[in-house]
Amino acid sequence: MTDNSRFLEVKDLKKYFPSKKKFLASNTPSVRALDGISFTLKKGETLGLVGESGCGKSTAARTLLRLETPTSGSVHFKGKNLASLSEAELRNQRKEMQMIFQDPFSSINPRRKIGEVLREPFAIHGFKENVSEAITKLLDQVGLSSDYVNRYSHEMSGGQLQRVGIARAIALNPTLVVADEPVSALDVSIQAQIINLMMDFREKMGIAFLFISHDMSIVEYFCDRVAVMYLGKIVEIASSEEIYKRPEHPYTEALLNAVPGLDSAQKNQKLKVRGDIPDPSNPPKGCSFHTRCPLKEKQCEEIEPTLKEIAPGHHVACLLKER
Amino acid sequence: MALVGESGCGKTVSALSILRLLPDPPAKITSGEIIFSDRDLLSLNAKQMREIRGKEIAMIFQDPMTSLNPVLTVGEQLIETLLRHKSLNRKETLKKSAQLLGKVELPSPEEKLKKYPHQLSGGMRQRVLIAMALACDPKILIADEPTTALDVLIQAQILELLESLKKETGMSILLITHDLGVVTEIAERIMVMYAGEGVEIGSTRDLLDNPHHPYTKGLISSRPKLEPTIEQGQRLTEIPGNVPPPHQRPTGCAFHPRCDWSIDKCKAQKPLLQNINQNRQFSCHLQPESI
Repeated sequence: MTDNSRFLEVKDLKKYFPSKKKFLASNTPSVRALDGISFTLKKGETLGLVGESGCGKSTAARTLLRLETPTSGSVHFKGKNLASLSEAELRNQRKEMQMIFQDPFSSINPRRKIGEVLREPFAIHGFKENVSEAITKLLDQVGLSSDYVNRYSHEMSGGQLQRVGIARAIALNPTLVVADEPVSALDVSIQAQIINLMMDFREKMGIAFLFISHDMSIVEYFCDRVAVMYLGKIVEIASSEEIYKRPEHPYTEALLNAVPGLDSAQKNQKLKVRGDIPDPSNPPKGCSFHTRCPLKEKQCEEIEPTLKEIAPGHHVACLLKER
Repeated sequence: MALVGESGCGKTVSALSILRLLPDPPAKITSGEIIFSDRDLLSLNAKQMREIRGKEIAMIFQDPMTSLNPVLTVGEQLIETLLRHKSLNRKETLKKSAQLLGKVELPSPEEKLKKYPHQLSGGMRQRVLIAMALACDPKILIADEPTTALDVLIQAQILELLESLKKETGMSILLITHDLGVVTEIAERIMVMYAGEGVEIGSTRDLLDNPHHPYTKGLISSRPKLEPTIEQGQRLTEIPGNVPPPHQRPTGCAFHPRCDWSIDKCKAQKPLLQNINQNRQFSCHLQPESI
């Protein structure tokens, strides 16, 4: 595909999960995990997806890769609509789209040796020659020695296992990697190692990353652009620099302020958010953030804001910024 | 006071030892003493210890999902502590419980008493646990990673609550965490732990601005900073290697295999905690100026 801008195009993607039917209840509302998100990703670009738990980040990732069937909307990867592909075509396409999971202990089969875990992607896609050499090379690339092929996951630390998770994801030279909270289960000193490793591969192989995290500070390091999600919707999307310098949505600002800083000077001017994230099966009317928003006005309870471009490449969904 | 370190460095074990909550056997406190209000907690018998636990020293745990009993309502769990340590009847304890929930800023406390833990969110559950810990006005509150399982926005709320409770009740808090950022929010002093030992102790600001131990320094610099000046693609400073498991601790200084500045002496000889001044101790063979 030559057209760079159409590498990955997500349009109005929705995923509703039906909630458990209660006895005799005729109509139970479904959980709107993903309520119409749209974005594009260029080749080799990194987009961060940030938000609290339950905001639909992981559902976005899984639906995008067709690990979940979307309720509506479309995902175009290199110009092809993933929804229209057959199982076999989809599998072929998946070579190029890989995922790194949050918890390496549960995403790597504990009953298999690391060598077997890494052999799997090759076997699934029908590569038979030089697989062992490729595995040794992969391990070397992620900084593990080749005798790890005979180890089991319980013999390794979380950081080492996440390296295996990365090796598995890059095994088939993907062009898109979705990383779902890849470092949040790791210790701080190990987090830095893993982030640096992913940066190396991004530069060497030109991989586009969709990086999912709840930690604004890591996202700033790793991503070109950031999309902030709240209750299944994107409320703000802009370049990393722009979002850190000029956060426009009150939710983005609150997220940035909530990062506990080593510098106590910045503590004073905090925008405070009360309460919990509302139930996604029954989202509030109007702006979904109005129940927690410190700047709320009367109109926010009734009118639902849509994403508007307020500066080049900077989109925000907030009524207060429309004036 | 905060204990900081990576997983497996002995933070939680320290806290559990203080409350004598470690299963014995296999765990045994081999030496040392724990002095609380002029009494050595290790010399007390089980009954005396129960009087202290919960009443004088209370603890909140990392995971609010698993540390509440899922088949009892919040109210029943709250009055358990009150009935045990205070001579109140059921009705009075229920009233007191509602007050406690109000104190931790839970909306409509009376209603919440009748709820089961699964009906509450993570942040609310952590508030219930804090209320339980506060039930008998403890002198010390041990908080073991109280915000690690929570979302960032909820984390900020809980930290703020702990801070204001500390001011209000005058209790001491021993905060256990791996996140230096959380520490700055509420701790006055920090002890950095590595492989079962305290490697540096100091007042929060002083220790963060001027770390003496290479490990402390590494922890501070490996944290991504939230600054608009960060350049794209800039690498994070990493501490190489992993925390050694407790049965394979290296000789000499436990940190030397991961330390950039290690010298021969570090392999052979264990550095002792040395005092620089009253408030500052660290254990490293090197001069702080040289790292």
